[in-house]
This record gives sequence, structure tokens and C-alpha cells, in this order.
Amino acid sequence: MSLGKRIFFGAPALAMALIGASAAAEPVRIGALLSTTGGLAGLGIPQRDGVLLAQKLINANGGVGGEPLEILMEDDGSNPDAAMTKVNTLVHSQGVKAIVGPTGIAQTVAIGSVTQPLNIPVLAFTGIGPAVENARNCVFHMTPAQGLNARALLSYAKEIGAKRVGVLHDSGYGQVIWGVMSKLGDEFGVEFVQVEKFELSASDATAQAAKVKASEPDAVIVLSSLATPFRNLRQVGLTAPIISVHGTATYEIVKAMGDAADNIVHAEFLIAEDPLPYQVEFVAEFQKEYGRLPKHFEAAGYDAVMATVAALKRASSNAAPDALCQEVRTPYQGAFAQYDFTAKDLGGLTLSSFSYSLLTKGKFSRLPFKASQ
Amino acid sequence: MNSTLIIQSLMAGLTNSFVYALIGIGIAVIYRGTRIINAMQGDFAVIGGMLTVFGLVSAGLPYVWACALGIAAGAASGLLIDVVCVRPMIRRQADDEAFLLLTIGLAFTISAAVLYIGGREAHLLPGIGGNGTVEIAGAFMSVHAIFLIAISLLVVCGLWLFYRKTIAGLSMIAASVDPDGATSIGINVARMRGYTFVLGGAIGALAGILVTPLISVSYQMGLGLTLKGFAAAILGGLTNPLGAVLGGLVIGLSESLAVVGLSSGYKDVVALTIMLLMMVLMPNGLLGKAGRRGG
Amino acid sequence: MTKTVLNGRLAFAAVMLVGLILPAVFERHMVDLLVYAGLYTIAGLGVGLLLGQCGIVNLAQALFYGIGAYASAYSTVTLGWSPWSGILLGIAISVAVALVIGFPLLRLHGFFLALATLAAGTIGTIFFFEWDWLTGGTLGIGGLPPLSVLGFEFNSPARFYYLVWAVVIILLVLSSNLVSGRPGLAMRALRDSAPAAEVMAVNIHAIRTKIFALSAGLGALAGSLFAHYSTYVSVESFTVQRSIVFLLIPVIAGARSIWGTVAGALFVTFVPELLSGFGDAHQMLFGIMLVLVVTLMPDGLAGIPARVARRFAR
Repeated sequence: MSLGKRIFFGAPALAMALIGASAAAEPVRIGALLSTTGGLAGLGIPQRDGVLLAQKLINANGGVGGEPLEILMEDDGSNPDAAMTKVNTLVHSQGVKAIVGPTGIAQTVAIGSVTQPLNIPVLAFTGIGPAVENARNCVFHMTPAQGLNARALLSYAKEIGAKRVGVLHDSGYGQVIWGVMSKLGDEFGVEFVQVEKFELSASDATAQAAKVKASEPDAVIVLSSLATPFRNLRQVGLTAPIISVHGTATYEIVKAMGDAADNIVHAEFLIAEDPLPYQVEFVAEFQKEYGRLPKHFEAAGYDAVMATVAALKRASSNAAPDALCQEVRTPYQGAFAQYDFTAKDLGGLTLSSFSYSLLTKGKFSRLPFKASQ
Repeated sequence: MNSTLIIQSLMAGLTNSFVYALIGIGIAVIYRGTRIINAMQGDFAVIGGMLTVFGLVSAGLPYVWACALGIAAGAASGLLIDVVCVRPMIRRQADDEAFLLLTIGLAFTISAAVLYIGGREAHLLPGIGGNGTVEIAGAFMSVHAIFLIAISLLVVCGLWLFYRKTIAGLSMIAASVDPDGATSIGINVARMRGYTFVLGGAIGALAGILVTPLISVSYQMGLGLTLKGFAAAILGGLTNPLGAVLGGLVIGLSESLAVVGLSSGYKDVVALTIMLLMMVLMPNGLLGKAGRRGG
Repeated sequence: MTKTVLNGRLAFAAVMLVGLILPAVFERHMVDLLVYAGLYTIAGLGVGLLLGQCGIVNLAQALFYGIGAYASAYSTVTLGWSPWSGILLGIAISVAVALVIGFPLLRLHGFFLALATLAAGTIGTIFFFEWDWLTGGTLGIGGLPPLSVLGFEFNSPARFYYLVWAVVIILLVLSSNLVSGRPGLAMRALRDSAPAAEVMAVNIHAIRTKIFALSAGLGALAGSLFAHYSTYVSVESFTVQRSIVFLLIPVIAGARSIWGTVAGALFVTFVPELLSGFGDAHQMLFGIMLVLVVTLMPDGLAGIPARVARRFAR
């Protein structure tokens, strides 16, 4: 809660405490630390929508063991410094039992140094990152690690017989995935014929796209969270298929691609136009609440809250943080995918978790292909 | 490395050159008429692009009228800034730094206002002459980019005539070069400054409308455009629209060659380093002192 | 001792006393913001010296803040040095970089110099991004040790609060002495009339370069302290936007006021936080406040008492 709100609402809360009004059920508090402004807002806002839907459904169905679920929303502005400040507030001042979020990988790595020593469960919307995270057994991961993303993309390249592959990646998350993917070429029989990077803030990557196109690839892999590279690749006349990581599989980015949103394959998770059986209920609830179709970021937000609440229900109401963390550590069927929080990567997603979608004139449709280990 | 790639990069660089030039021209126009460096020129472009998208998509106007709405919005913002912010500061004889801080503050405010009102999505416009591309020696260039270059050149010619041949243009220069002298021969200096901001705002908005079909428009793109526009304007000697085109070409083409020759991550480093070297070694721009007067 | 001086000293003592007990009464989040206000005071002080004493707009302070932070992070986490030597390394590198880029660039003036620093700061951010072997790139560097003195660790907001504000007060006192002494006189002479100062044999370029290096050193110190407080650094913290915030500190405070820097730093840390209750509108409101300050209050917050006095004197 912001400082302003605390000043406004703090006074009545204090008055109630003085009167000793303990009749109302004490809410169960969890924190949601998301990037709803700044560079990652395109991911953080859909996650927030999923989180809020889950909260509403839980409270409509009796809350957590009869107590209402309260979610304290904090925005880190896509900035790891701010995430540190906010997580300290959530943990030390607000006493939350668990945290859903953060949105970004840097934020997740940063806040783990605060939450892990206290064994407070964190359900982050990132894959497991640098080595320091291997020791953090209470930071769970709702989306695939870079290596898994890379393998999912290369599996598809192999499926369509692409031997010569061009790569266009941004300088943020794209670079992190490329760092892993660059070592996997031989395993999938793929040669990376041209690899180009562009700045996250770039509004134009035509020259890089031209360089990739000039290498005459069988397919191009795009690792980015922006619409720019797709438009530029089509502007320079690339006709080869584009294979993209799930970050750009959102309606907003597809709209920003304009005419370029064609013949693009995403290795992703939720194709709401044609959902898998375990996703049907979430898609229906989401559409009822918001009047539009969700993608996987909304689903991840929803799953993180639902998995936390399931653990809260199993633990006793005054369980210590490490006991709650222990309760999260279990398989969980989400709308995003089947999770296994006991897995070594603290998420348990596998290649078979991925669905492959084809964009045709801005519309997603499911491809029959499924990757296997 | 093959020749098609180099041609393709050069054509991408050429398009970018004119985008930077259009922003640089606006900066040059405002500097020439007011001696103020406008750090929010890129945000005029955001206003122009956004309002045109609004006119075309939300209000359902024909394309031409939507563009007119965008340009009018840019011009009106320019006037508003002059009347509300610049005038009181001129009256109390604020120094250069204060004006720079003002325009930085305005850039921040406008970007935040566009985010609040228009949302964080990037928007596209259809290209002038459709979304087609033409093939030149195996490389591709969008038809719209050719229109963008042609329109930029028309703007430069128009400004050249305006500042040489019209009373309004001559008065605007006189009012900025020698305010006291201009006043004594009956030129309303404050009004001329207002006209300069209107012109600068309109050119900025036009730039925004022209780049939107290529790179889309969104709330946070202003500062980046401004920085490249500065580089172009400074290379051109800062007061000269034609010089800004020349500066834009140097920046845009060297950027695209840097991508081909070096790592693409250092593209902006190359452009900004050229700007810094020029400022230190050739403070009057590529055209020298003569270029300052010309255009 | 005159009555005004006595009153001034009493007020100062009262502020100090309040400052000492704040961490005990405020909740953790407020103390955390106060720590950031202290860090920003240090970085903003450097920008303020340049702006207030030399009339230089510096838009590259986040570059030096970043150099300090990465020097601390790399030397403690990767090389295993002690935190204090990391801080010194950061300051040394920053001063060296400032001398190298300042020597040519400080021949420029006014707008041009401001743009040159903006370009230098932007180039710095790109290098922070690209040199990921050193900076960790997007993932950043985590796990910095807390600062400690004789085994006492500054590992909580309250403990760090005392450390950072002690540093702030020392630096403010030193800066006040610098400004009121001979160097300050020379700087003001060159700000107000550069040709006249030159006649008086003031080596303008040398003084400007020295102050630029001093400002860079302050930026690096703030960055190193930030890195040890946050225990985590990434490129997001060292962008041009952060440089603009550092510039706003003296602008809001009134550039010529050394102690006013504190007010500016408190403004840029607390006002956005207060406004964040307005959701997406908060950045716009903050921007409008900035424009109002620049347009209507040439001397910043520090000018308010003088203005009030003038009004009553009429």
C-alpha cells in the first residue's frame, strides 16, 4: 500500500485496534509484487488481472478456511531497487505469508536475498535464473527457465527441418535466453548462421533484420518481448518462418506487429481460442470477468494465487513460513500448465508443457506439434 | 558480407536519417527563432502520432483529416508551452539552463500524460501509399519510407523559402537575432516567438505522423527521438534545417554501417560519439559558420 | 552571539535530535525511503555544486553512480575484496573517467555541454548493458556483503540510516566550507562573468574540470553505498532517467543552496511515493510539479523563505 493510502486509512485502522474490534475475521495476507508500470508492464498488467481474478473467486467461495484473502498489491516500476524496497515493506511491515511475483528475472534474483533467509514462499513469474537461485528452495518459478524455452524453440526448428537458423534477440531477456541457446545448436542439429542483437529501447532494428535475412536462414528465432523485430524482419522481405519465445504471444504485442503478425510460431502455453481441458474453466471465468480472452501471463498470475491458497489451506493457519513453504512444494495442476514444485528447478515445467501456436493474420491457432523430452 | 546486405543497411539507414532529420529540423527551427534548445521535440512527435491514431481509429476521421488533427495538436501544444511556460520565464530573464530544465520537465510530463490518457500500447498507422515495399537491387524499402524522405525534403525547401521570402519568416529571425532592434522597427517579438513554437510543434507532429507507420508510436519514445534529433541538428550547425538533414544522414548512415561492421549493441554509441566529437572539434557544424546563416 | 545565530543553532540542534530518533518511531518502509534520500543527497550534491557554482547542467551523474555501484559489486562479490576498498576503487575510477571525458567536454558551454553530458551518460548505460562479464547485464550482480565497522554490520535500514546520514552531514559541512572559501569565490566569479574571471587569472577550465571530478566522486560514493545497502545492482538503476532525478535534486532545492540539497532529495524520494496512490497519474502529477517549480520558482524550495520575507516587507 502506498504511503498516501496508509496515511488516509491508517487512522481508522488505529482507532479500531484501540477499541479492540476483533470480531471481524482477520484476513489472510499475501503480497503481490508486480511490474505494472515501466518496461515490463506488458507482462505485469496481465499478471495482475489474473491475480485479481483468483482473489475474487477465492473470496466468493469462502476465502481461506473461512477467512478472507487479502492481496497487497505493490508495483516495482520494473526496477529491481524498487522491488527490494517493496519486498522489505511487504515482509517486515505488512507481515505477508507469501509473495506472488515479481514479474522480472532481475527483481526475482534481487528479492530472493530477503525472502529466502526467512523461508517466505515466493511464486515468481520467471524461470530459474543464475546459479545463486539453485540454493533458494522457497523461490518457486511459474514460467520456464531459459534453457527450457531455448529447447522448446529448437524442438520446433528441428521438427520443420530447419538446419540454418538466424537469431534476432533483444538486449534484455532475449540475451539471457540466447546465452543458453547458443550452446544447444549441435544437440538439435541446428547451425546458427547469423545472430543479431538490438537494444531493448530500440524502435528500429531494420539493419539487424537485414543482416539476419542476408544469411538466408531456413527459419528465424526471435527472442524478445517487443513487436519491433517482427515488423522489421517482414519489412526487409523475410519469408522464412519465424519462431518466437512466449513473451510476444500477447494480444497487445500482436496488435503492435500490424501486418507482420503472420506466419509466426510461438512456443507458448495458453491458446484461449482453443484451450486444453485443464484450461477451459480458467478461460471461461476470465472471459466472464474481463470480457476478453486471457493469455498465459494472466494464467500464471491466477495459478500463483491459487497454488498459494491451496498451500495455505493445507498448512495450519499459524504455520511458520518454512512449513508453508514446505506445503507449496508439491505438484500442482494450473491453468498455465502442470507444475511440479518439488522439481529441482522449483517449477517442474517440461518440454511437453508447451503448446505451439501459429499466428495467421493476427489470429492464434493451435498447431498439432508437441515437443517431447 | 554481400552487397545486398550493404544496400539493405544503407536504405534502412537512409530512412532513419530522415526521421532524425525531421526531429532535428524542428529543434533547429525552435533554436533559430528563440535561442532555446527544445528537449521535448520528440514528444511533439508523440503528440502528433497519437492524435492522428486517435482521429483515424477512434473518431473515424479520413486519413488526411486525422493527419491535420495531429499536426494541429502539435502546433497547439507549441503555442500553449510558449504562453504558459516560456513567457513568464522570459519576463524574469531566466538563464539558458532554466529553459533546458523546463523542456526536460515538459518532456517528462507529456510522456506521462500520454501514458495516462492514451495507455501504454504502441500504435501503428497505415503507410502513405499503402504498406507495400519496393525492391531495389535485391534489397527492400517500404513505399512509405520513400514518401517520408520526399516529404522531409519538401519541408526543408518550404522552410528555406519561408525564412527568405516571407515577411513572417524574416521577422521571426529578426526577433530572435536582435530582439531590441526588431521591436524598434515594429516587430512584435513575443508574437514571433509564439509563431516559432507553433511551427516547431507542427513540424514535430508531422515527424511523428510520418514515423508511426514505420516504427509505431508509444508514450516513451520521445526522449530517444529527441537525442538523435539533437545529434542531427548539432551536426548541421543547430540553426539550419538543411544542415539538420545533412546531420541526420551522417548519423543514420554511420549507425547502420556500425550494425553491419561492428556489434549491433554499439549502434547508439557510434552515433553519440560522432555527435560529441563534432561538438568539440567542429562547434559550428559540418557546414561551418556559413551554414549557420544559410538554409 | 546574536539572537538570529542562536536561533539558527537551536533549530539545527532540534533537527539533528529529530533525525536521531526518526528510525525508532518510523516504520521500516519510511526509514528505507530516508536512506534513499540520504544516498540521493550525496549524488545530488555533486550535481548541485556543478549547477549552482559553475552553471553546468550535468546529465551524466547516473554514469558515475553506476561506476561506484559496479566497482563495489565486482570487487566484493567476484574478487572478494573488502567493501571499503571497493568504495575507494569506485571513486578512483569515477574521478579518472570524469577527468578523461571532462577535459574535452568542459570546453563546451550552456546547452551544448548539457547535451554532451546527456550523450556521455547514455553511452555509459549502453556499456553497462554490453559488458555483462563485468556488470551481469540484465541479471545484475547480487549478494553484496553489508558494510561493517569493527564487526558492527550496517545490515538493516535503521543501521544504514545512521551511516548514510553521518556521511551526508560530513559532506555537506565540507561542501559549505569549499563554497564559502577561495575556490567557491572563484567558481562564482566564473559563473557570473566568465570573461571577468579570466581577467582575474582564474583558470576556468581547470576549476570546472576539478569540480566535475569532485561531482563524479560523490556520485560514485553514493553508488557504492547504494550497492551495499541494496545488496543487488542491475543496469535499470543507472539509466538517463536516474540522471534526470539527480539533476532535479538541486533544481528543486535551489541550486546555490548546499544544505537545500537535503530538501531536494527528500522531495524526489517522498513526493513520488505520496503521489503513487493516484496510480498511473502520479508520474504526470510529478512532471507538472517539476514544470511549476522551474517556471515559477527560480530559486527552488530554498527561495521560498526569501520570497515570503519580501512579500511581508512590502
